[in-house]
Amino acid sequence: MLEARGLSKFYGSVLAARDISFCLQPGQVVGYLGANGSGKSTTVKMLTGLLEPSDGQVVYNGQNIRNNLTAYRKRLGYVPEEANLYPYLSGEEYLDMVATLRAMPKPHKSKIISSLLHLFSLWPHRHVTMGSYSKGMRQRILLIAALMDNPDVLILDEPLSGLDVTSVLIIKNLIQALSARGKSVFYCSHILEVVEKVCSHLIILRKGQVIAQGTTSEVREHIGKSSLEGVFLQLVEERDVVQVANEIISVVVPA
Amino acid sequence: MRGAQQFLRRRWGEFSQTPFGRLVRLCVGRMFHGTADPDAGGLDLGVGVIVVLLAMPGVLVSLLMFEKYGSLIRFLRGDGVYDPFTATIPDVYFFLVLSMVVSGAAALWRWDSIFLDRRDYMNLVPLPISLRSIFFANLCAIFVLIGLLTLVVNAASLVLFPVAVVGSQGSFAVFFRFTLGHSAAVFLASTFSCFAVFAVAGVLMALLPAPVFRRVSLLVRFNLAVLLLALLGTSFAVPHWLTQLSVADAHRVAVLPPVSFLGLAPTVWGRGREPFAASMTKAAVAALGAAFFTTILAYAVSFRRSFIRIPETPDTGPLPRVPFSLSPLPRLRDVLLHTPAQRACYPFAARTLLRSDGHLQVVSGFMALGLVASAAALTSSPNLHTLVTGKAPPVESLSVSFILSYCMIIGVRFAFEIPADLQANWIFRFWLDREQHEARPIARRVLLLFCLSWLVPACFLSTLAFWGWTVALQHTAILTLCTVVLVEVLLLRFRKIPFTCPYPAFKSYSGLTVVAYLFGYFVFTDGLAQIENWSLGDPWRIVWFVPLFSIVLWAVWFYRKQMLEMDKELIFEDVSDSGF
Repeated sequence: MLEARGLSKFYGSVLAARDISFCLQPGQVVGYLGANGSGKSTTVKMLTGLLEPSDGQVVYNGQNIRNNLTAYRKRLGYVPEEANLYPYLSGEEYLDMVATLRAMPKPHKSKIISSLLHLFSLWPHRHVTMGSYSKGMRQRILLIAALMDNPDVLILDEPLSGLDVTSVLIIKNLIQALSARGKSVFYCSHILEVVEKVCSHLIILRKGQVIAQGTTSEVREHIGKSSLEGVFLQLVEERDVVQVANEIISVVVPA
Repeated sequence: MRGAQQFLRRRWGEFSQTPFGRLVRLCVGRMFHGTADPDAGGLDLGVGVIVVLLAMPGVLVSLLMFEKYGSLIRFLRGDGVYDPFTATIPDVYFFLVLSMVVSGAAALWRWDSIFLDRRDYMNLVPLPISLRSIFFANLCAIFVLIGLLTLVVNAASLVLFPVAVVGSQGSFAVFFRFTLGHSAAVFLASTFSCFAVFAVAGVLMALLPAPVFRRVSLLVRFNLAVLLLALLGTSFAVPHWLTQLSVADAHRVAVLPPVSFLGLAPTVWGRGREPFAASMTKAAVAALGAAFFTTILAYAVSFRRSFIRIPETPDTGPLPRVPFSLSPLPRLRDVLLHTPAQRACYPFAARTLLRSDGHLQVVSGFMALGLVASAAALTSSPNLHTLVTGKAPPVESLSVSFILSYCMIIGVRFAFEIPADLQANWIFRFWLDREQHEARPIARRVLLLFCLSWLVPACFLSTLAFWGWTVALQHTAILTLCTVVLVEVLLLRFRKIPFTCPYPAFKSYSGLTVVAYLFGYFVFTDGLAQIENWSLGDPWRIVWFVPLFSIVLWAVWFYRKQMLEMDKELIFEDVSDSGF
């Protein structure tokens, strides 16, 4: 079980996240929503141990992750928001590097990488350097890197970015299958339809603070909206989106 | 005057606001700043720093001329009256070489940014601008870049050198004539150098398919860098030859571009009737014209052949690679690389050095320096025949392997400090335990691989061919041990995974570090070669190397033992005092 206990983060005097607490149980898929700059990525970095909280702690199976970060990360799969990869390494070389860093045994590592490259349709491109990969191909490499060591917790930050329709459908089903196998998935995204479909629980963030959390239906009922889009607009967006769209039209297309 | 200035400024302001003016500004900007993503940690020095760096050699050499030609110093030295138009020929030659080398190096540095690429195509072509405008805007930018480079590189020498040489003669006419001749020579030589580099790039781009161009590009740049360094080397010998040779023989030296441009200065000074100056002036003008027209032609062809066809060619990047192991013996690699971190980071570092253009350029640059220094060491021998004869190799022959080893090690060590796609280093931050001291073992293995893997066989075989087994084994063993000790010294405070940290900040002692590296060069290449030469006289003398190496290695071990644990921890931001 992964638990965030009162996580806060200040960059100098600027608040990025304040007193964030939640619990990620095995088999749960938690959707983490918020507008740009609401503190989603900061939370993710604290959950992965890339960023040290100013206050609070991340607890995994009863232990502060800082006590043994390596052991915690061995159980973690992480897809970052941006597909930052070394462009001069081939997809297979990069995955081999990650597998080696994860100390995966050699024969197992090669077998898993080959199988996943086939399944993610990257096998023909495995020797091509990633500088020439499309955004979707890079994203698939990141997904393979996150999944290949059978992690117990998956932290996915915009995992569907740049993927084609087939890949999106595969990933959506994959998340549900992983959840059914008892894996915990922490899912950050702006695509509300996908969140609504794959997540069992929701956490909504605004200006660095949690403003709603619970099961998807609980949150919807509590706000009194039938769709997640309605919930999101009511909680997070201060402006009337229709009016803003009309104002843009009036600027671009004069009467 | 002020009115004209205001007029020009207003016209420039108006021009730069037109679509074409904006395009020219954009093209000039991309040539100065390069095409790399600034967030990726690439080196973007800014225009000010670039200008200072380019101007610095000219300023330093010009200041040295005051020491040589200053009237007070000459008086104190007891030197008599001299003819500035003949006495300064060696110095004019040196300024010509310097100007060509610095301009050529700057053009080589910006090799990738000269011609428009896919990003420019994607940004500019969808806009309502004609292809012709894009073509001419970049052409204008090339001329602007060449003009700026020429001006910046030569500005100091144009003012300071004539002041140093004829400033005290009290004749404005002589001063003006001298300045004019010197300016014409260095300006045109500098321009030729830039055009020549651009012409080579353009011809290659026009003739070769884009992926092949990318592949051969680095090799060509390496060879051009060696050529420029070799040109710099001629500045010590050529002026002397020119005074010794007959006119007929001097023409043979004239294939060197600076010699041709040297003819320009006497021509402007009014000595164009001298046969040598006249023919050299013609050669210089012809060379400049050829370089100019080749550049324009190559640019036009490459624009048509490469830029316009960008949408038809796939965004391939580098070609698919054949999978290969970085060690011929994978089992040996597993033995040498003990931990998962080492097994993952060693191939990463080796591949970065072999595939990342920027890093390969740095290592190639140091290697080019090593090759030129080796050639200089060999030619410094009083009798070239003795280089490969006798019972034991002379110091000059022995020093070659030390020079190559030093340049390679320093080059790779320097390249370690250049970040590669900084944003991608999250994978190492994520996986590596900062308290495990993995940085030195990884860096050590990469340094030794890149140096010894080729240098040991080359050194052994070349020594074996001339001096036999005993000397070959002895020399190779000493070279290997010296290289290992050098690597240990260089990694004394190293605690980064190569290429994963931003550039180290400039420190108060950075200047001293450069001096230390220069001092180290002389100790390593000359000092060790002298000691080895002495030891080869009697095989038992080689035992002296044992205490020598032991003391250095013990000092390294002792220093590391004294270091605090926090100073050994792996870092991803260079905020500490430790640095290169």
